Amino acid sequence: MASDTIAAVATPRGQGAIGVVKVSGPLAQQVAKSITGQDLQPRQAHYLDLHGQDGDTIDQGIAIYFNRPDSYTGEDVLELQAHGNGFVLDQLLDTVIAEGARLARPGEFTERAFLNNKMDLAQAEAVADLIESNSREAARAAVESLRGEFSRGVAVIRDQLIDARVYIEAALDFSEEEIDFLADSELADRLTALNKSIDSLLSRATEGRLMRDGITVVIVGAPNVGKSSLLNSLTGEDSAIVTDVPGTTRDLLREIIVIDGLPVHIVDTAGLRETHDKVEQEGIRRARQQIESADHILAVREAGQGIDKDLLQGLPIDIAVTWVFNKTDLHEPPIANPDSLVSEIYLSAKTGHGIDQLRSHLKQVAGFTSTPEGAFMARRRHIDALQAVRQLGLSANEHVTGTGAGELAAEDLRMAQDQLNLITGEFGSDDLLGEIFGRFCIGK
Amino acid sequence: MNKDNFYDVIVVGGGHAGTEAALASSRIGASTLLLTHNIETIGQMSCNPAIGGIGKGHLVKEIDALGGVMAIAADAAGIHIRTLNRRKGPAVRATRAQADRQLYRAAIRQAVENQPNLRIFQQGVDDLIMEGDRCCGVVTESGLQFRSHTVVLTVGTFLGGKIHIGDVQQSGGRAGDAPSIALADRLRDMPFRVARLKTGTPPRIDNRTIDYRELEEQPGDTPRPVFSYLGSTADHPQQTVCHITHTNEKTHEIIRSNLNRSAMYSGNIEGVGPRYCPSIEDKVVRFADRNSHQIFIEPEGLNTHEVYPNGISTSLPFEVQIDYVHSIKGFENAHITRAGYAIEYDFFDPRDLKPSLETRFVNNLYFAGQINGTTGYEEAAAQGLIAGMNAARQVQDQDPWTPRRDEAYIGVLIDDLITRGTLEPYRMFTSRAEYRLMLREDNADLRLTERGYQLGLVAEPRWVRFSKKCEQIDSTRDELSSWFVKADSDAAKAIASRFEVPVQKDQTALELLRRPELSCEGLHELFPKNITCSDPAVLEQVEIQVRYQGYIDRQLNEVEKQRRNTDTLIPPSLNYQEVSGLSSEVKQKLIEQRPATVGQAARIPGVTPAAVSLILVSLKKQEMTRAAHAG
Repeated sequence: MASDTIAAVATPRGQGAIGVVKVSGPLAQQVAKSITGQDLQPRQAHYLDLHGQDGDTIDQGIAIYFNRPDSYTGEDVLELQAHGNGFVLDQLLDTVIAEGARLARPGEFTERAFLNNKMDLAQAEAVADLIESNSREAARAAVESLRGEFSRGVAVIRDQLIDARVYIEAALDFSEEEIDFLADSELADRLTALNKSIDSLLSRATEGRLMRDGITVVIVGAPNVGKSSLLNSLTGEDSAIVTDVPGTTRDLLREIIVIDGLPVHIVDTAGLRETHDKVEQEGIRRARQQIESADHILAVREAGQGIDKDLLQGLPIDIAVTWVFNKTDLHEPPIANPDSLVSEIYLSAKTGHGIDQLRSHLKQVAGFTSTPEGAFMARRRHIDALQAVRQLGLSANEHVTGTGAGELAAEDLRMAQDQLNLITGEFGSDDLLGEIFGRFCIGK
Repeated sequence: MNKDNFYDVIVVGGGHAGTEAALASSRIGASTLLLTHNIETIGQMSCNPAIGGIGKGHLVKEIDALGGVMAIAADAAGIHIRTLNRRKGPAVRATRAQADRQLYRAAIRQAVENQPNLRIFQQGVDDLIMEGDRCCGVVTESGLQFRSHTVVLTVGTFLGGKIHIGDVQQSGGRAGDAPSIALADRLRDMPFRVARLKTGTPPRIDNRTIDYRELEEQPGDTPRPVFSYLGSTADHPQQTVCHITHTNEKTHEIIRSNLNRSAMYSGNIEGVGPRYCPSIEDKVVRFADRNSHQIFIEPEGLNTHEVYPNGISTSLPFEVQIDYVHSIKGFENAHITRAGYAIEYDFFDPRDLKPSLETRFVNNLYFAGQINGTTGYEEAAAQGLIAGMNAARQVQDQDPWTPRRDEAYIGVLIDDLITRGTLEPYRMFTSRAEYRLMLREDNADLRLTERGYQLGLVAEPRWVRFSKKCEQIDSTRDELSSWFVKADSDAAKAIASRFEVPVQKDQTALELLRRPELSCEGLHELFPKNITCSDPAVLEQVEIQVRYQGYIDRQLNEVEKQRRNTDTLIPPSLNYQEVSGLSSEVKQKLIEQRPATVGQAARIPGVTPAAVSLILVSLKKQEMTRAAHAG
């Protein structure tokens, strides 16, 4: 029987009126009590208020508690059914995790059911297939999530964390060397810088430019190829415009469209070109900044033209680009080449022909699939890990500046590294020793 | 010698691994033979004359907690003893001693000679006696055969050893001893993966030719730390001081201009040296911005003039060694008694071992010590103890035992070796232990002695003393938690004035002790009637437990989460080719390494959580299939 408690949103993202959060493991009962405020009668549906961490009501919904072994996984299980709204489900999941559960790995509920004798031998292959295919998809989604500005932010945090650990661990393991970084104020500065980077990335990731829910798509291209009409065409057809945020300049326009319940942030930029106009220069500078933070780029050209090599060279290499060839009402599109590795879409923003194709392409780009393990979930895992890193970083800083307890700071940072490894891949104790020996002349 | 030359366990090698192996095996009742090529070198410290240090001191305490001899010998030989990291947290505090080589050797020899069930015989070993895939004895260099149920090989750097001084090479174990060429050749014929490592020593110097007047002096600690849980400062010999000097620009210039004559830089050495113990050539080249490096002048003993200048190991030619030594402050007229040298030797990829340290290819054969790619007396001794014990348990038809990573540094050491292997001589550091806060020097006995007693490793006197300590810890905790200190009481005022912290609310003394300003020993001194125990080790233990409580709970929680993986054994019969869903890369790794548990599999680099899930599912499937057939 597993000793930790897992949780996940069990319904596909952005679909359906009802969303389900599932919790399985020894903490399920305690979580039920704290979210519903009641001791639930096992195997009975209760309609009640579902509370968040601060005690406020998140939603009204149905809670069912199954005690082990009479549940799907064979462990204590809690099922929370609420409105199928991404924000509500996220809050519920946040609350469950704050109570000590962790995000389930792909296929983990089924895995537990199998390991706890809830399935028969004939299903073993199916379980293995499910684990394998879901984790392959999760790995792909994780790569999708780890791109652009987010990826660069994580890389900076990783370097800063390793840097701080190198100093602390060197001081602990090599106290006879002529180095004592624990006594050094530089270490506190390093930790402060680390925490600042995490805060900054988290706030960007959760509230603005790197939305936790939805992706940011930037439209670029030379002036007058029809970028603005493309934006209008995309948003105009959609009755469900959520917000119309005015751009920071008149050259930068942000819209949020919702495709099948999934928010996609679209930013229209100034045309990129050499100019002496001060205002336009500023617009272009901001456009470039915006491009850097995008999850995806739509590069717009006229249908009669080919790919713009100069434009392509100016774009960050780690952000995926889709070429949109506009004005098919004026120019005949070429025969589509199905083997092409380049994403190309031909449309007419004026007539609306081809816009649907673009919308479904964006849906795909956003990682929206029918399983819950898409890009959103991946990003969610990343954010969760970063939040844990943040907590541990703060605690480490307290130890260093307060009691000077180096081994406790080191312990916090080691755990922070474990969390960050979930995003960046393995960095173990031997890697750390390698960094120490590379930087300091250690040894007799 | 017994009449038919038959023993339960034969241990080959009389170094730190060999002696602990032989002692452990005979302690738990197996008739044991220790074979060494030279009885005079039993317990010899072949590198620097020191025991312990950060991470290593932890190992020594664990060996002691399991009834081993190393800590007792270190106390008998320690002529300069310190606690490193004293001002840092308890988890990283570590004991280190300069040891008198003769006294150390004598203490080990005495323990070995007086151990019941243990015989010693002087003869090098050239070959193993095999029956199928089982090792059942050895053949010595003069052709004598000794048979046994199990064999423990602890032959250190003697396998294919080659010594380099500048461009001069000779075969050798350590300077002055012959290498085991025949045995190395024999083992190379077996399917073990073999690689080369190297290590180095500095030139030794005659104490009387060093000018100490301007050198920094480093005294031992007062009060003096003790290694063994059974020991006391009364066990220590006369104490001495150490000195520190430094290399300078002139030293570095001499080394730089002779680099092409160093064995390492001329390409004569193929073995990989340790990153944490670079030669002076390496230091000068890799850290060119440093114009000075520390040298610890370590005395070799009370009755010798030889000193070990720690920090300038080298493979430069002898005449260059003389030049650079003379450029160092205090060494202007130094007389070198032995040249420094680099030594290359074979080691066997420890990933070919089981957690018991039995080899995977040859049954009943165990490897321990430097042969497994480690460096250091402490690392060797720790493996020796586990290998010797498991070799004896195999004879007694009992399951092997190896501590887990959350139980001991010994567990970290063995798990790292068998799971990840090593590319350089492996040395213990506290940063290798993910449960570092639990694995402290101060609680090695609490972690291991009870287990050691059950295993038969720990004798009655140690057990009695340990049990008493446990009782005192419990009763002191009880006293603290049942003593309620009211905010305005006299006790509160006395505490406030002694520790300079106000007591603002009513609380138990145990809660008060969480504050870093308080000490348990101080509370005992203030209120001997409330806190009755006066044993500093007990008071310290209670205090550390209280301070670390939150962190320890968190680590225990982590241990608990891993428990299912740690406890799930993978049967050797598992066919990874048939485990659905595993990538071919992961399959390859698992087939090569054959992890013993799911936990070990999870720690193999590249094995993902999903792969672990697939293994668990596959094991469950096997179990269900078996149950279906049985039913």
